[in-house]
Amino acid sequence: MKKQIYAAFLMALMIVNSFPLFASSHREAPLIADDPLADNTDVYAFRSPSNPDKIILIANYIPFQLPQGGPNFYSFGENVRYEIHVDNNVATPGDDVTYRFTFHKTNEDPTTFFNIRLGKQNLKTTYTLERSMDGGASFQTIITNGQVPPPNIGPRSISGPVGLNTPDYNTLINKSIATSTTGERVFCGTADDPFFVDLGGIFDLGDAPRTTGTPQIDGLKVKNVSTIALEVDISTLQKDKMPVSAATSILDPNYVIGVWASASRQKIRTLNTGGSESYNGEWVQVSRLGMPLTNEAVIPVGKKDLWNSSTPYQDLANLATFGNYFYNPELALYMDDSQFGGAVPALKPLRIQSSSLQSFDFRNGKDGLFPLRGNPALIGTALAEAPLGYAPLLLPAAASPRSVDLWPIFHTGVPNLRPYQLATGKAGNPLASGKPFINNFLPNGGDMLRLNMAVPTTSRTDAKFSNEGLVQAAVLGLLDPAYNTNTSLQFIPNMDGFPNGRRLEDDVTRIELQAVSGVVLAAIGLWYDDYVAGSPNPVTPKLLAVLGYSTGVNNNDTTFKTSFPFVQAPWPGNTDRAGLETNYTQSAILAPSGSGLGISAPDLFFESYPIPARDHNTIKYRVQGNNTDVKLYLFDEAGHKVKVLLDAVKDAGIYNINWNTSDLQAGVYFIKAFVNNRPYTGVKLVKL
Amino acid sequence: MTQMITNKKLLQWIAVIFTCFIITGVLMSSSHREAPLISNDPLADNTDVYAFRSPDNPDKINIIADYIPFELPQGGPNFNTFGENIRYEIHIDNNVATPGDDITYRFTFTRTNQDPTTFFNIRLGKRNLYTTYTCERSTDGGNTFTPIVTNGVVPPANIGPRSISSPVGLNIADYNDLITSSIATASTGEKVFCGPADDPFFVDLGGIFDLGDAPRQTMKSRDGLARYNTHAICMQIDIATLQKDKKPVSQAANILDPNYVIGVWASASRLSTKTLNTSGGGLVESGNWVQVSRLGMPLTNEAVIPVGKKDQWNFSTPYQDLNNISIFGNYFYNPELALYMDDSKFGGAVPAFKGLRIQTHSLQAFDFRNGANGLYSLKGSDAVKGTALDDAIAGKLLLPGPGMPRSVDLWPIFHTGVPNIAPYQLAVGKEGGSPLKPGKPFINNFLPNGGDMLRLNMAVPPTPRNDPKFSSLGLVQAAVLGLTDPAYNKDKSIQFIPNMDGFPNGRRLEDDVTRIELQAVGGVVLAAIGLWYDDFNPTDFKSSPVTNQLINVLQYSTGVEKNDTTFKTSFPYVQTPWRGTNIVNQ
Repeated sequence: MKKQIYAAFLMALMIVNSFPLFASSHREAPLIADDPLADNTDVYAFRSPSNPDKIILIANYIPFQLPQGGPNFYSFGENVRYEIHVDNNVATPGDDVTYRFTFHKTNEDPTTFFNIRLGKQNLKTTYTLERSMDGGASFQTIITNGQVPPPNIGPRSISGPVGLNTPDYNTLINKSIATSTTGERVFCGTADDPFFVDLGGIFDLGDAPRTTGTPQIDGLKVKNVSTIALEVDISTLQKDKMPVSAATSILDPNYVIGVWASASRQKIRTLNTGGSESYNGEWVQVSRLGMPLTNEAVIPVGKKDLWNSSTPYQDLANLATFGNYFYNPELALYMDDSQFGGAVPALKPLRIQSSSLQSFDFRNGKDGLFPLRGNPALIGTALAEAPLGYAPLLLPAAASPRSVDLWPIFHTGVPNLRPYQLATGKAGNPLASGKPFINNFLPNGGDMLRLNMAVPTTSRTDAKFSNEGLVQAAVLGLLDPAYNTNTSLQFIPNMDGFPNGRRLEDDVTRIELQAVSGVVLAAIGLWYDDYVAGSPNPVTPKLLAVLGYSTGVNNNDTTFKTSFPFVQAPWPGNTDRAGLETNYTQSAILAPSGSGLGISAPDLFFESYPIPARDHNTIKYRVQGNNTDVKLYLFDEAGHKVKVLLDAVKDAGIYNINWNTSDLQAGVYFIKAFVNNRPYTGVKLVKL
Repeated sequence: MTQMITNKKLLQWIAVIFTCFIITGVLMSSSHREAPLISNDPLADNTDVYAFRSPDNPDKINIIADYIPFELPQGGPNFNTFGENIRYEIHIDNNVATPGDDITYRFTFTRTNQDPTTFFNIRLGKRNLYTTYTCERSTDGGNTFTPIVTNGVVPPANIGPRSISSPVGLNIADYNDLITSSIATASTGEKVFCGPADDPFFVDLGGIFDLGDAPRQTMKSRDGLARYNTHAICMQIDIATLQKDKKPVSQAANILDPNYVIGVWASASRLSTKTLNTSGGGLVESGNWVQVSRLGMPLTNEAVIPVGKKDQWNFSTPYQDLNNISIFGNYFYNPELALYMDDSKFGGAVPAFKGLRIQTHSLQAFDFRNGANGLYSLKGSDAVKGTALDDAIAGKLLLPGPGMPRSVDLWPIFHTGVPNIAPYQLAVGKEGGSPLKPGKPFINNFLPNGGDMLRLNMAVPPTPRNDPKFSSLGLVQAAVLGLTDPAYNKDKSIQFIPNMDGFPNGRRLEDDVTRIELQAVGGVVLAAIGLWYDDFNPTDFKSSPVTNQLINVLQYSTGVEKNDTTFKTSFPYVQTPWRGTNIVNQ
């Protein structure tokens, strides 16, 4: 088995350069920040909680969509190839399954500036879905004329008779779910952005959770995103087309897939006079995303564009360029008191092992486990020399301390082999056999989301469901008596969570920051500095500090759907959670002058004299019915309420109000009446 | 009277010269994501243009062009900044006798990473995407440009206290110090600021684009641009620099001196060809410069030009508008919005506009609804002799044909401005109540080049922002005061009425242009000059023209009447950008 994988890996190494393919985060690199339509923000891959035979693949594009962002709102771009890539076999070069989406926009009524009017929609978007099963050499069309629902503009546009006259926006979502000729279910449309992060805090030099006095806030709250969601049968994605029922165990290595997404544009864009643009030339990848936050918080600004333009299959060849950002990540500098640890107080609970087991230093520039390379103790572990182990990849050199945890989490996944088993049962030796908890090993060397499809799903309503994903599975495996009494393979809740794939709920920012601070090392027995080798309890204060760390924003700002497409309906343009409410109250609309105000048994009749007013004015009013709430307000001509002249409950009768107008500025005013709190009528008052 | 004749001759002469030149000016030029193509290119998306006389320094004009809509203050790690390979330009026309721009300011930006090893934007005193600019000026219609600011500095994004003020960031106590220190003075005297700022615009996007639901009928209205930033190019320029004969404002003959009118618009242009590198990331831009965004009058391309023509609008210049009048003219003569203020059309479909009802039989004679003739029946008649509607003056432009009712108000407001002659004077003192008779002057921003621009008469004094009569209703309020306030409505003499310096005579940051334009589409300008609403009874000359229908229009409001923060009281006037860590309501 190991030999097989290694051979496959060597093949992958040989062919990495031969495959021109395509590829973000939210505005994470300079160039793509300027091309929102092609900006891939997030990728998710998880086994369907509502249908365990299926895998859900979700790729999101176009960040920071304001629900109220009219008149053109947001939709997928034309002349962009949006692709979801699946690798299920390191022995075959490049993709094993590729889904390519292309979109087309039509104006059904080009005579209006509104997006939707009288049943017609502008920038109406449809799509074609093609699939390749041969590494992108040939594509088969599996959906034509797929429908993208319109933007969720508001009730008048969606449900009103002058709009689309649809009962409910969710009806539009459900109607647009298509089934491809090859069985996949597909949804392309606007959705609530499922990602959550305190952008304002974290990009203010890592201030998450906030230490400067302002409250944490989900910087993506009430923002939408354009989602491509696929529901695919596990047997379609498994390399030998086997159903999940044929898996030999819940960590069967033959059920691992690597998933990434990209956007590509044609090489040459030409602006034409007259207001159009044309595209030609070969397709060039401009955005890619596999693991979350790689290009946001691992790759530095000077290399972000290069990262977006290359494919995961090129990552090994580019190891000299990008490898060190994982071996010695910038974020680790802020979790290390000998570097800039003191400069980022928010990350204080996160401190990387500097003398784990009084032996191993994982801080940037240190050697980590490299001194063990070649040591007979490694025989039988993943860290053994080739061809029995992966030492060339996992222990490549001195001063690359995170080659054993961060680099493989992003680039190969980890096998169910020593040392990548939980410390449970290891009796203090991290290299000993422990309790299995992950196998998402697909060692093609590329940044992808790796999912073992054989791992059962954790019910979203399970009391042990956690958005800490695999970190929580490790905690349960180490501490929960239901799992920590032996080393047998057992389903531990959240083994289906990030970084074994990625569920919509997973708090990947927190998990990755904990991982940078060494929590994975701790899980496999490389405990924190305050653990003294041999002592019984490895759950030391430093480990507890890491596990207790939180960015302060741990959940999406809304729920998820419980069935496909799982992403939540987009925020409507008129939502009371976007924009700033004003305290404006609309003036009553007056009937045209001379049309006989209130002739038919008015509830109220009033007049004001003299006009114009100098220093006083009298209002005479008649109330028709008993127990009538009467309000008389004075407004200036800009519609601002200047004075309350009357606010009382009156019985039927005729009344007078005498009031002093000398402190009013000269100008035109309106006295308006409200009867039982409904705007009623008004008269003009001119003050000299 | 002599003045009037001189003006008339001048106008005739101008009209002749002007028609010779309209096609020769080849120059360049939004709103917030207002057209399909530009909505995909935020860096080049020109969102607003402002032009107003300095309230604190009346010798100066401020011109502000905003780019990049909907900037999230927390939008890291690559916070927004001006783009490279874009020509951001501010254009001024001060003379219809000369083709195209009389003055062009061109801004180009360069970004540098001072520390490419970090993913943070600011760290240890170093800035990534550090942006600097060159400002060039042309005073010969864009033929030659001279650099007047080099190495101008754009302040960083207002990321948060750690990035700006802490010792691991820039160690600058107050973000405003970064604004102040980046104000440059050009070699030719202009003050310049380029940087992030609070977006001064305010509008209920969520309501208005849900089929015109402003003010919202079933819930509170909301400012859809609250707490967002934009990138502002701000200039403070001596009036003598902008005036066609280089005269200072002290030499203006009066506060409506026609020689002090400027037309202002802004644009962004890109190189025609963008080539992506097939490996390694990066791209190359080449070819000729193509205008991709333009903005003069607010909301033109957002709410006047329909979706099928928006891109074409952005790619053309104001100097081409007259030539394109067969394409775009009708959107002003018979605007879509007017359909929603007309009970014989879709008036019933947009309840929020119920207070706005266009005149259907003003003075029992004139119908201004879409497809009606407006004032066309007067064409060539004695009644219009000597008025702006006289073919010898501007009648060819203003009364081009039947079925174009708004050729006398909306089209000129956007394309020529209006002169200080009848009928474009307030109804005050108009003999026999005729709108065609001389009335009280209130505007002269006539620069009849036919192009969509913001037109400002620089001779009009500024209204102090703390004046109790200062109003975001701009010229509409000046008209209301002129008609109703005893301080102004006694006679026809030319008099400064507060807010004569407001939109659409230029545009101040405070002006509620959405409300004013909707009122204008609702016919308020027609009413101001004596073409009263339907419920005015012209046979009873004692009855007040301030009828309920006029009151309804004046009281109309979109529900969002002011910006979500204040403005600075001195240059650059735009407010400090919202801080990434301080956002709650958004």
